[in-house]
Amino acid sequence: MYLLVKQQQVARQNLDRKIFLEGLAGTGKTTAGIERVKQLLQAGVPPSAILVLVPQQATGLPWQDALRRSRAPGSAEVRVTTLGTLARELLELFWPLIAADTGCAQPLAPPRFPGLELSQYLMRRFVGGEIERRDYFRGVTISRNRLYTQIVDNLNKSALVGFPPEEIGSRLKSAWRGSSEQAFIYDDAQACASLFRAACLRHNLIDFSLLIDILRKNLWPLENARGYLTRRYRHLLVDNLEEDTPTLHDLLRDWLPQCHSALLIHDNEAGLRRFLGADPAQAHSLRALCDLGVTLDRRRAMSVDVAALHHALAKTQGREAGPMPKGGNGRAAIRWPGRARWHPQMIDWTVEHVARLVHEEDVAAREIVVVAPFMPDALRFALQTRLDERGVPHRSHRPSRALRDEPEVRALLTFARLAQPAAGLAPDRFDVASALLSAIEDLDPIRARLLADALYRDGGLLPFEHIRDTRLQQRITFQLGEKYDRLCSWLARVPAEQPLDLFFSAFFCEVMSQPGFGLHRRESAGATVANLVDSARNFRRLLTELDPEASVTADYLRMVEEGVLANQYLRDWELDRSEGVLLAPAHTFLMSNRPVDYQFWLNVGNSGWGRRVYQPLTHPWVLSRHWEPGRKWLDADEEAAGAESLANVALGLLRRCRKRVYLGISEYGERGMEERGPLLLALHNMQHHLSSGAADV
Amino acid sequence: MNLPEDFVFSQGNLQDYVDCPRRFELKYLRRQRWPAAEVDDMAAFERHLEQGDQFHRLVQQSLLGLPEETLRSRINDDEVARWYDAWLANGLAEVPAQRWPELTLTARLGKWLLLAKMDLVAIEPGGAALVLDWKTGRHQPRPERQAQRLQTRVYRYVLAEAGARLNGGEAIDQTRIEMRYWYAQHEGDVLRFPYDEDQYKADGRFLRDLAREIDSCEVFPLTEEVRRCRFCVYRSLCDRGEQPGSLAEWEGDEDMALPTDALDIDALDEIAF
Ligand code: SF4
Repeated sequence: MYLLVKQQQVARQNLDRKIFLEGLAGTGKTTAGIERVKQLLQAGVPPSAILVLVPQQATGLPWQDALRRSRAPGSAEVRVTTLGTLARELLELFWPLIAADTGCAQPLAPPRFPGLELSQYLMRRFVGGEIERRDYFRGVTISRNRLYTQIVDNLNKSALVGFPPEEIGSRLKSAWRGSSEQAFIYDDAQACASLFRAACLRHNLIDFSLLIDILRKNLWPLENARGYLTRRYRHLLVDNLEEDTPTLHDLLRDWLPQCHSALLIHDNEAGLRRFLGADPAQAHSLRALCDLGVTLDRRRAMSVDVAALHHALAKTQGREAGPMPKGGNGRAAIRWPGRARWHPQMIDWTVEHVARLVHEEDVAAREIVVVAPFMPDALRFALQTRLDERGVPHRSHRPSRALRDEPEVRALLTFARLAQPAAGLAPDRFDVASALLSAIEDLDPIRARLLADALYRDGGLLPFEHIRDTRLQQRITFQLGEKYDRLCSWLARVPAEQPLDLFFSAFFCEVMSQPGFGLHRRESAGATVANLVDSARNFRRLLTELDPEASVTADYLRMVEEGVLANQYLRDWELDRSEGVLLAPAHTFLMSNRPVDYQFWLNVGNSGWGRRVYQPLTHPWVLSRHWEPGRKWLDADEEAAGAESLANVALGLLRRCRKRVYLGISEYGERGMEERGPLLLALHNMQHHLSSGAADV
Repeated sequence: MNLPEDFVFSQGNLQDYVDCPRRFELKYLRRQRWPAAEVDDMAAFERHLEQGDQFHRLVQQSLLGLPEETLRSRINDDEVARWYDAWLANGLAEVPAQRWPELTLTARLGKWLLLAKMDLVAIEPGGAALVLDWKTGRHQPRPERQAQRLQTRVYRYVLAEAGARLNGGEAIDQTRIEMRYWYAQHEGDVLRFPYDEDQYKADGRFLRDLAREIDSCEVFPLTEEVRRCRFCVYRSLCDRGEQPGSLAEWEGDEDMALPTDALDIDALDEIAF
């Protein structure tokens, strides 16, 4: 591989030194890091001694792919992982030595890891009642699930930043400059966080925040546990250090002196995960612990035209823009739309140009990304259906609907209610008809409705022979009636106490995916149902341990209805390896660290570009290490934070673009409101910094 | 060519191919998830896998030097406690003192890589080089059958090919290598499979041919041994039946049946705040 001289300093030389490598995204830092791993292996370093740390799994994929593709001996053994995964491994291994000091009430019992989905449930279980009783968060108008998420987020911040969880409320309150009556919500947030933590300790439930807390307080100080990592991994590489948290940075301060070699990679002008506790300033301070600093400043990803565009936008944003790239024509790297008044027109315009690139210009679909500040289900669905119509392969950072809204999942949930009458959750007739429609091949909505009307009685399904009206029988047909009977008799044989996950998988396998039934050979449905089975299994395992008397089935079904479970669709990161146009929120694409040739920015007028999501109960800046105690968060701070975030996202996108950006703009946004957000203004302001004639399409 | 550039062979995926090419295609090339049960009594099966998991962790903890009494006193499952006692009694009998628990090694296999994740490798300088695998399944296979399992062939081959770094940089002579299975449910019975140059050469040829065959095969046929389908999650996708086989007859490998625990602690930014 061709490497610039400075990349070679990192990749091929200084293999026994600790290097701080910095530069903007797209300057070849990760490439140099990957080459360094190969070089270490070639120099005889055992792969088991090399560790690549990344802030999230997605950031690790380019490393894993490149190392495996190199097929160099040892390359597939190099571990690429996150701090969270290491922490869990340490905790599982060394639990017997630390359990008594963690504050967990059952040190002799094993720890339990509820994961994200179940943390939401636990929050509801442990805290929900108290919120009702004490009328917490009066006047706060966000959904209960988002409220829970922010309480969890506060606990995570306390662990990752390293302050006691008892200080969450006071820290937030001290920066609040609104009315004192409003400040009570921070007391409520504190009370909920404390309640939740206490309950977790009572039940040995190690959520992410407690995991990190235990890592800091119990595992890292234990020589055995720390040595398990520091003695094993003598060669460290840390990518996107600026997106990681103060906890990792603290650990590295101890770890680096014990390493044989290290490479810390820092993306300048990033900090995209600040809302999750990332701390770029502290990350940069680790430079002082390294033997050598290298800065990469030659763009590797952007074409000269995109670089010119980047230069113009950086100037508009008041960022250090450096010299104008020679011969670059920024206007050639950007496509403004014709006049689109309405949102659907913008989507049509986008899809038309994506299809043109793929079908007429032979652009590989994986070289195109469509991003928006958020990717709500409706937008994703609209794009997916139109791309399907034009035969353009696509992939998404998650499916178009939450798990519980997928038709096959809804059908299985309905059949579960029918099969488990003891749960007392009989479905309504409409749901029964929809479930039959999903389950039986060739059944149409009308006949499904007729079946449900005629045979759904008192919470159960009667056999087909109960239809006495021969015209109705013939209309439905005996062939479909036979399948219906097969399904009913299977349901009738379900043991009363069968766990829900086992019911789902058995009903799917023995009925719904059999020939003649609705999910026969439906591969994508199989994957969706597999997620449902996982969700139900995890719930069952946790709940039976927490409360052996609980009625797991009824609770699960109720929680799904309330949107607490099967509400998120945690992504299968393997999807990133598939081909197709990527549809994703801008932030998700940025964190995947893979440049593409063409980008489509949608909803350019939306104010979500560069504005914080409304999070009344938490605050990434105030809960960071850099916030001066007692200082108030002012409008000017909000504005500065917004401007910083906009510049980081917009410029970050350009740095990951090789050829051209298409702007998706409509006068009226998704909700029919006129939109003139900060990105649109910035792009208009940028125009006079661009060199030559406009390239509108 | 079928295999993606970053594909890595392992005993698991090769065994799947040998058992059923279609299963290999679905599982590794199409990454198809299919939520069917492997056996009829999934509750017992799940419990068994958890016990296996717990036992493997105990052994790893023990090898890391955690005090035996501390570990022993926390076991809350009688069966696991029995396995652990048996392991303490003879699990490390005649096992050299230089030990690498939970070791991953890779060897070249033609233009691909072949990866082996081993429970324990133990080497005596100038003497025996053992690969140990702890088995917690009820079923103890006949030695002739186990000798043919891909695990036996792959692990010994990989140690011969890639074990130099555990042996002061010198390749390990094949005649020093032994694969040893230790059976927890059979009071620590062991099956031993020594190695030699002929077998090593035969394995190399066999594995390379297999890799080439997989990469170039045009269709991945369904297995002709239909009884395998009873314990395969894809049986309804392949129209090979409805009901899973009986747990009592299950002869699979618990290492390959362990559910992949989708660790979501790193997926925090997927939450809608
Ligand atoms: S069901 Fe049978 S044919 Fe299909 S993949 Fe499984 S073993 Fe192969």
